[in-house]
Formats: sequence, structure tokens, C-alpha cells
Amino acid sequence: MAEQTVKLTIDGKEVAAPKGMNLIEAAKLAGIEVPHYCYHPKLAVVGNCRMCLVDVGMPKMGLDKKPEIGPDSKPVIMFGPKLTIGCNTSVAEGMVVHTRSPKVIKAREGVMEFLLINHPLDCPICDQAGECRLQEFSVDYGKGQSRFVEEKVHKPKKTEIGPKIMLDDERCILCSRCVRFMRDVAGQDCLGFVNRGSYSTLTCYPGMEPNTNYDLNITDICPVGALTANDFRFKQRVWFLKETKSVCPNCATGCNTVLWSREGVVHRQTPRDNDAVNQCWMCDSGRLHYKFINDPHRITTPTVKSSAMGERLALTWPEATRQIAEKLMPLKGKGSTIAAIGTARATTEELFLFNKLMREILGAELVDCVPHVGEADKFLLDADRNPNTNGAKLTGVAGEPIGSRIPAIAEAIKSGKIKTLIVHGENVVKYGVTEELLAKLDLLVVIDTLPNKVTELAHYVLPGATFAEKRGTFINARNRLQRLNAAIPSPGIARPEWQTFAALLNELGGDGGYLTIEDVFADMARLLAPLAGLNLSKIGDLGVELKPATETKGEAKTESTAAAGAKT
Amino acid sequence: MALNVPTELEQHIDEVITHYPQQHKRAAVLWLLHLLQEHFGHLGKEQVEWTATKLGLQPINVWELITFYPMFTAKPRGKFHIKVCRTLSCELCGCGGILERLQRKLGVKPDENTSDGLFTISTVECLAACGTGPVMMVNDELFENLTPDKAEAIINRIKTTGKLEPQPLPPVLPAHPLEKRVLLANMSKPGYKGAIEDYIREGGYKALPKALGMKPEEIVAEVKNSGVRGRGGAGFPCGMKWSFLAKGAGQPIYLVCNADESEPGTFKDRQLLHYDPHQLIEGILVSCYAVGAHAAYIYIRGEMPYGAKILIRAIEEARARNFLGKNILRKGFDCEIFVHRGAGAYICGEETGLIESLEGKRAYPRIKPPFPAVVGLFGCPTVVNNVETLSNIPHIINNGAAWFRGMGVPGSTGTRLVCVSGPVKRPGYYEFEMGKLTMRQLIYDLCGGLQEGRQLKGVVPGGSSMPVLKADQIDVALDFESLRKAGTMAGSGGVIVLDDTVDIVQSTLNVAQFYAHESCGQCTPCREGTLWMEKMLHRVKHGHGRPEDVDLLWDVADNVDGKTICPLGEAVAWPVKAFVTKYRGEFEKACKKNGKEATDEHR
Repeated sequence: MAEQTVKLTIDGKEVAAPKGMNLIEAAKLAGIEVPHYCYHPKLAVVGNCRMCLVDVGMPKMGLDKKPEIGPDSKPVIMFGPKLTIGCNTSVAEGMVVHTRSPKVIKAREGVMEFLLINHPLDCPICDQAGECRLQEFSVDYGKGQSRFVEEKVHKPKKTEIGPKIMLDDERCILCSRCVRFMRDVAGQDCLGFVNRGSYSTLTCYPGMEPNTNYDLNITDICPVGALTANDFRFKQRVWFLKETKSVCPNCATGCNTVLWSREGVVHRQTPRDNDAVNQCWMCDSGRLHYKFINDPHRITTPTVKSSAMGERLALTWPEATRQIAEKLMPLKGKGSTIAAIGTARATTEELFLFNKLMREILGAELVDCVPHVGEADKFLLDADRNPNTNGAKLTGVAGEPIGSRIPAIAEAIKSGKIKTLIVHGENVVKYGVTEELLAKLDLLVVIDTLPNKVTELAHYVLPGATFAEKRGTFINARNRLQRLNAAIPSPGIARPEWQTFAALLNELGGDGGYLTIEDVFADMARLLAPLAGLNLSKIGDLGVELKPATETKGEAKTESTAAAGAKT
Repeated sequence: MALNVPTELEQHIDEVITHYPQQHKRAAVLWLLHLLQEHFGHLGKEQVEWTATKLGLQPINVWELITFYPMFTAKPRGKFHIKVCRTLSCELCGCGGILERLQRKLGVKPDENTSDGLFTISTVECLAACGTGPVMMVNDELFENLTPDKAEAIINRIKTTGKLEPQPLPPVLPAHPLEKRVLLANMSKPGYKGAIEDYIREGGYKALPKALGMKPEEIVAEVKNSGVRGRGGAGFPCGMKWSFLAKGAGQPIYLVCNADESEPGTFKDRQLLHYDPHQLIEGILVSCYAVGAHAAYIYIRGEMPYGAKILIRAIEEARARNFLGKNILRKGFDCEIFVHRGAGAYICGEETGLIESLEGKRAYPRIKPPFPAVVGLFGCPTVVNNVETLSNIPHIINNGAAWFRGMGVPGSTGTRLVCVSGPVKRPGYYEFEMGKLTMRQLIYDLCGGLQEGRQLKGVVPGGSSMPVLKADQIDVALDFESLRKAGTMAGSGGVIVLDDTVDIVQSTLNVAQFYAHESCGQCTPCREGTLWMEKMLHRVKHGHGRPEDVDLLWDVADNVDGKTICPLGEAVAWPVKAFVTKYRGEFEKACKKNGKEATDEHR
């Protein structure tokens, strides 16, 4: 059904906007910024900052209820005596809006000045500097000088509100975004204003600080430096950081994110707008999960266990690939002695190559991924803590249900049937493949980013790359294909796993020839029906929703493709 | 639960909660806090948490209110809380001397408790008794026409007797021949006490049965035809307001009586509430029937505790005679009226601030649209009318729209209650036909002119938020249109007279201080601009003005004017701009006084 649109004029530009849209959003359509603080597209409109005041006129209606036409043969426009806030004004047919008239400019300069008179001049030590709306709008819409010579109002500074957030009340402009978010979105009515007038102060009741898994979102939506995240506070100046669009790997929701990095270190992760996935929010557990990237114990180089010394010897990649391929080559055609445990935390591309290597080249039958299940909340956090279960299913790595073949793998190792195990990114000791079982293996090859019991026992350990260090895709719980981008290089000579799998495929006589991630995707799109016609560019920053396999044309290569149906 | 709330008190609280819809029991929070504070003396952690649990709220929701409404206190106060009004009319009449004397006498600063725990002195904003200023309240008792000596004597008496004696209501002022008393008619009669018998004896409760025999839309039409305009301040036609109600949405409709009289200079509703409550109650009942409401709330300002008691008693008297309750006068109409007490916030006079406050929140005025007629109290269509407006309704029903229109002038029909305060010989309240008298007649005839030896300097015609008229502008007729043409407004009918001894800069400071204190703090221009103006004027007043401050003051006011969520922005901007424009010389002189830069002391 076509949306009803209305035509209006904003700063002389004709705009067609959907009925019901407010003037801030409509102006955005025309590329015009209406500055605002309290308005947030995902929160209730309160209209308290008064920054979005605009001049709104409507056609004067004649007695025939048609717009009266003036001498310039245009409709006569009647402007109200007062300015109107854009956030609470809906578009209307024939409306004329001025966002830059002298009247609007004066009002805006006035509001800017008011916001600054009691604001501390602590920008040099404020962590919001560089992403502060007060700074930005001062430059764009302020007068550049203060006429205020009185004593400022003083309020509490450096108040911990819960373990995650620091509140500076002097910087707060009382826009109430955080209050509305905690009450209406996070579901914890814990923030409020005390006192009155210019002395109004944001606070929470003692002992009842924010304690949801979404608290840190208020540090994102705070337009000033009043609410800052303890995790990021004083770590970096934001203007030094590189922004990389990414996807949170902490659960199957796949919240869109930005990774903020500098010189190879990720300093924070923040949510990125995507209405089809996470609106503009993310959970705190997902947000703070990035820290493992910077773990000092990261595996940085391929190693082989030296049988003589019980120590690990570093290998170059070509040497590691050659040695492992040498060990695997004789096993081709003896698939029943090989098992492989992949990970649904890997990219679809990695899973695709993993599947190809294990099943098609080596002929392994016992291949699966480890399920990670937690508690779902009613908002963003999915019970499935794997970010790419649907990718693991689509590529055929995962059992149905995921993990169902793990007991069989353990059993087959125990019985001596399986002599070779390849593990990617999972501490399988925790999931039934015990240390005793691993010790029985003739060959244990592990690809991982951090050391654990499995890497300790492995004959070969190959360093992997975290989600922040590689390109590739995840398919989320709603069957949405989303793209990762490399924000930082991997430590040492660690590299994205798809390169490792492609190298092994080459050595083992697969016809791979995968030189780039695009090559891998192209092959995958050729073979897996739901991906038909796609490539990494087409996915875009917001991802694409995959059609269930039954609705797609072309042949489904693996039987588990059909299982990749949308999870609701 | 840690807090020991006596059974009787809890029963009372539980009863109060039933005055509000079950899913909106939060609305009872101000009542609860009043009751708990009366019992415990203050509202600390235990009281906050007890209240939150009782009403299904978070403690922060309650804490937000205690710090918003000045009548509540988190810390124990003295047994006798002395509240000295510091607002304009009382200042003009010398309240400063009273505060000074009491502080000296008791040896405490404002908001400090005396060491014996007996007294706390606070300054408060307008107590709506401006005609008898200076005034102060001690706990629930109002003391009027004070002098420092009188104030000291009151304290001495409390100290000696250890108790506070109830103060009688002062006698009703006699009518001046130029007045036409309609709303004040009953109370002006000898022996009239405002009880239901008195009201009925004088012909009361005749409009109600008559109205119940009419169709609601006929009543709305009659009120529309009468031309009665809202008496609260904005002067919006009452009948038109009623006709905007969004009916038929399956939601209940509410009528709210705005009895939060708090515009400085205004004390008319005080008379109507205290002396003739049934006139108001009958007006509310008729209006409820007309608009289809079955429940009405009277939001009475917290500083009128007796008014609340009088109304509650009157409601019970009316119920006993089946004027109120179920199946009123066996005409099948049900209607309840509940009294809701405010707690000291001027902003509750703004209708959407009032609604938020009534819902148990900080009185943050709402952005419009939607208007209360569509989304009002508890999200339902709501009409909010002033006490004086509603008190007119029985008369319109009894006598007809034509009779009402016959009084006053076109556009300003009926009578108006006008309150006069400041240095005139006979300050007080007067009722006369709108447009039939000029400001000059009001000041010089009705009020008997200025006090001996004083000359008129200016007059604020409609509460302190309205632009001042200079002494040569007073030949203006007192009706909505004439005052508008004179560049001001009829407002709330509070006339504040300024004489030649008045320091305009000081008066402007007083006004700015009032609005800075009363700004709810929700929207930027008012929150920041009001206090800025107060600070600037304070500095100028203390001799540290700079020549540029005159224009700066005007411009700050201009940056507030029309930019805010509610009319409080205009309420502060208009008087400041008018004072600066009309008495510019005084400001220039004050700013030049010693020409030196502001020092740290007075910044």
C-alpha cells in the first residue's frame, strides 16, 4: 500500500514527506539539518530543548476552502506569531517552513546561549569532546560569544550511577533522553530530575542505579558529556579513532555496530542504526564483549607441538600449511576417521570453506558446531549466543539441531574410530570432548584466537582472527545477511581463517583458487541458493534479508540449506 | 515495612487512593505526601519508600516530587513553620521588614530551625492574599496586614502558649456603589456563612435541577451564547473550550477546576472558595453534566488548606442532599467531585502542568497539540476551567445567556472579579461589569486613591505576568479588548499598584525572582533565562550594573518570550520587557550607579 505523502516547502525546497512525519525528519529528507537535543527518533517527543524551533506557515484558506492565491500567483502563506518546535509538528500539505530565517536564527542563538550559560567550560577535559552536540551546534548555530557574567549554577560532578556510567550534572542539559530511554525502552524507571528550575538535577535514587543490560545506550544518546561510559572514559579522543562498520558477534540478533579503533586497538563498540535489526541500541554485554580482541594472550603465530620437548615451536604459515596438509593428505577418502568441530561464531565464508574442506575434500561425516545458548531478554538479546547459527546451517557445518553430532564425535573418539579432529574456535572440552578424549587423537588441529585447554593439547595451533579483524558475513536469527569489516589487523601473523582454510584446500587438491574474500563469496553464492545473485557490495551496510531456501530459485547444494529458515 | 504508619492514617490514605482510577493511583501521591508530612513532620527515606510501595512507584518518582514542590521537606522543620510571602504585592507593603525582624527575633536564617526545634522561617512565593499584604502563614494559619511588631507578637504568643490559634476568616469587604456583585452577592449578605443552608436560602441549587432538565448541548449552547470567557488568565471563551472536547472515544471525560490561584496580585478565587463553596460546586456539577463528565477534580493550591477543608465539607453537604453522587436528584446523572491539593508550585496553574501534577508527577507543562480537550487527565478528554469561570455557570443557567450578555461589553460579557493590591487606600477585591469602569476609576474611586502623599507610578493590570501600564495609561476600560489594545492583558484580574516610592528595578527583580523560583525547569529558555535575569537584576540592584545590561536584560527576556513550552515564558518576559521599556531611565541610572565592573561578591 502506497504511503500517503504530503508536499511542503522547507527553505524553498519542495519536499514530499510521508503523512505524520515531523519537520525534523522531513527537513532531513531535503538535506536540511534542524538542530535538536531532546528529540530522538526512537523516544517519546517531549519538546523541552527548544533548539528545533522553526517558522511554520500554512496556506491561507479562502471562503471556498481553497488556498487563497496572492498577486505572485502563489498561495498566500500565513505564519504564526510564534515559532514552532519541529519535533512536535507534523508535515501538512502546502506547509512552508523556514529553518534559517532571521527569527529562527535569533531564537536558536538564544537557546544555544541559554544552554551554555551554566555549562562548565571543561571541554578540554571532557570526554565528550569531538562528539558533543553542544560543541557542534555552538559552532554551527551559536553566537560565538557569551554575554553571561554571573556566577554559574553548580551541581554534582563525577557521580557514579552504577558500575558502568559516570554522571556529570553540570554538563547535563536536562534533555531527558536518558530518563525516557531507561523508563520506556530499558524498562527500569530509575532516572529522574530533582529540584526545580535552573537547579534541576538529573539523578537516580540512592541504591537504585541503572542496572539493566542496556544502560550504556544512555551514554550514546546523551548529546553532551553528562553521561560517559566508564569503559571508554579518558581512553582516547574520539577524533583519533577510526570508525569501522561491524556487527556484534555476541548473539544471533547481530546488532549493527561501529568499532572505534586506533593503531590496531579497538577502544569501543557502539550501536549503529538499523531499523531492521537493533534500531539504534545494543546490549551492554554485546557492547563490552569486544575486549577479548585486545587480550594480551592472543595466539599470534602457528605452532606445532614438539613431541621431543613438549614445547611448542613457531611455524611460518607455509610451513604450517605444508605440515598439516602432509598429515591430512593420506586421510583423504578415510573420512570416517576424521571429525571436525566448527564454530557458528565464524563468518559464513569461513564456514563454507570449513565445510568444503572437511566434508567434500576429506570426506568427514561427523561435522558440527557448538551451540551457545543463554537466556533471551524481551528486547535485543537472543537466546542463541552464536552470531551465525543460520550461516552454519546454510553451509552445512551445523547439525540439526546444532551440536547434535557432538556426542557422536566424542563417542567415536572414545571408541578409537576417529583419530583426527579439527577444531575451529571452540573450547570443546567444555562441550563433552574431554581432555582424555583429545589426548587419544593422532592429530588435533586447532584454529583459535585465544589459548585454552584444546590449544594446549593440539598438535597444531593456527591463529585466527576476531570479528574485528576480517571481512565476511553473518546470517542473524531473522535470516538477515550482514557484513563485517576489518577494523584492525590481527596480532602477529594471525590471519582470517578463510585464508587458512583456502590454503589447506589448495594443498589438498581442492579447486579453490580463492584469492580474496569476494572469491569465496562468489563461490558460495553460486552454490547456496539463498545467496544467489548477491555479492559483498550488494549486502550494503544494513544487510539483506535472505529469502527462505524454498522460495529461491537455483539448486540447494546441501540439505541443511532448507533449515536456514527465518527464526522468529 | 520500617515506617510505622498508624492504622487510622493508612485507612485515610487508602480512602484517598479511591478518588483516582485504579490504574492511575499514582495521582494520589501529593495527598499521601501531605498526610505523611503532617504526621511525621518531614518526608525522608522511609516516607519516600513507603509511598512508592503503596502506589506501585519507584522511589525516584516520589523523590522527584518532594524536591519539586516546596511545601514538602525532606528534613525536619521546626514545629511552627513560618512562611513569609516575599512576592511583589507583599514587598510593596513591606514584607522585608517582617522577615528581618523574625530572623533577628529567632536568631535563624531562612530555612534554618531554631535550636529549640520550635520554629523555621522560610520565604515563600505569593500566598494569594495580596490585598491584605504583607502576609505570612504559620503552619496552616494565615496572618494578614502584618507589621514587624504584629509578626513579633504572633511569635511571642506562640512561644508563650506553645500553640497556634486558628485564625478566623476575615469579614467580607463591603461593596462599593460602582460594583455589581453577582459572584460575591451571597457572601456580601449579613449572616451568610457559605453552608449549604445559606446557599439554598439565597436561591442556590436551582440551576442544577434546571440544567438536568435540559439537554447537555443546550447548556453548552447557553454558555457559548453568554460569551463568558475564562477568568484564569488567557480569557479563552468557555463554551468554545467545552465544544472542543473529543467525545465518543469511549473514554471518560474529566472536568478539572483550576483552583491553584497563584498569579501574584490575584486573590479572587480565595474568596469564592472560602466564602461560597456551593456556588462553585453547583457550577462544577452543571458543567460536568454539560460536557458529559462524571468526575471532577478541584485542584486547590496547597497553601489554602482551609479552602480544601471547606470544599470537602461542602461536597459532603451536597452529597447528603443528593446534589452530588449517584442519580442526582433522581435525574439519572452520576457525578463525583474530588478535592486535590497542590503543594506549592505556580506552574500548576498552567492547565497541562496542573494535569501532570494531578497525575502525580512533576508539574511539567505538556507540549501541545494534543490539547487537554483531546488528551487530558489520565489520557482522557478533559476540560480545565477556573474557579471564577465555573462559579458563573449557575447564574448563566438561572438567568439565561441574554442576562449575562447584558452585563459588560461585547467580547467581555458578565462581571469580573478584580483584586487590587499595593499602596492604595482600600485594597481588596471588587466585582463589576467588564468594560464599564476604567483603571482610573478602579484606583481612585473604588480603592479610594493612593495612600496619603503618594503618586501613581504605574499599574500592573492582570497579575504580575502582564505588562505594566504607566500612570498616563490608566484611562483604559477594564475589559479584555481594551486592555489588549493598550498593550497589556486582563490576565487573572490581579491589579498591582505601584506608587512613586517604588524602585522599578527592585520590582522587576522581585518579579524575575518569582518566575525563576517557579520555572519548572523543563524547557531551556525559561529554565535558564529566568534565573539569568534574576541574577543580572540582583547585580544591577547592588550597584554593579553595566550600561549594556539594560539592553541585555531586554534581549534575554526576548529570547524567552514565545520560545517556551508553556506561557510561563511570556509571564516573565512581558513584565520585564515592559518595565525596561517604560522605565528605561531608572534602569540606565541603576546600571550607571557606580559604573564599576561586577565584583565577585555580587556576580
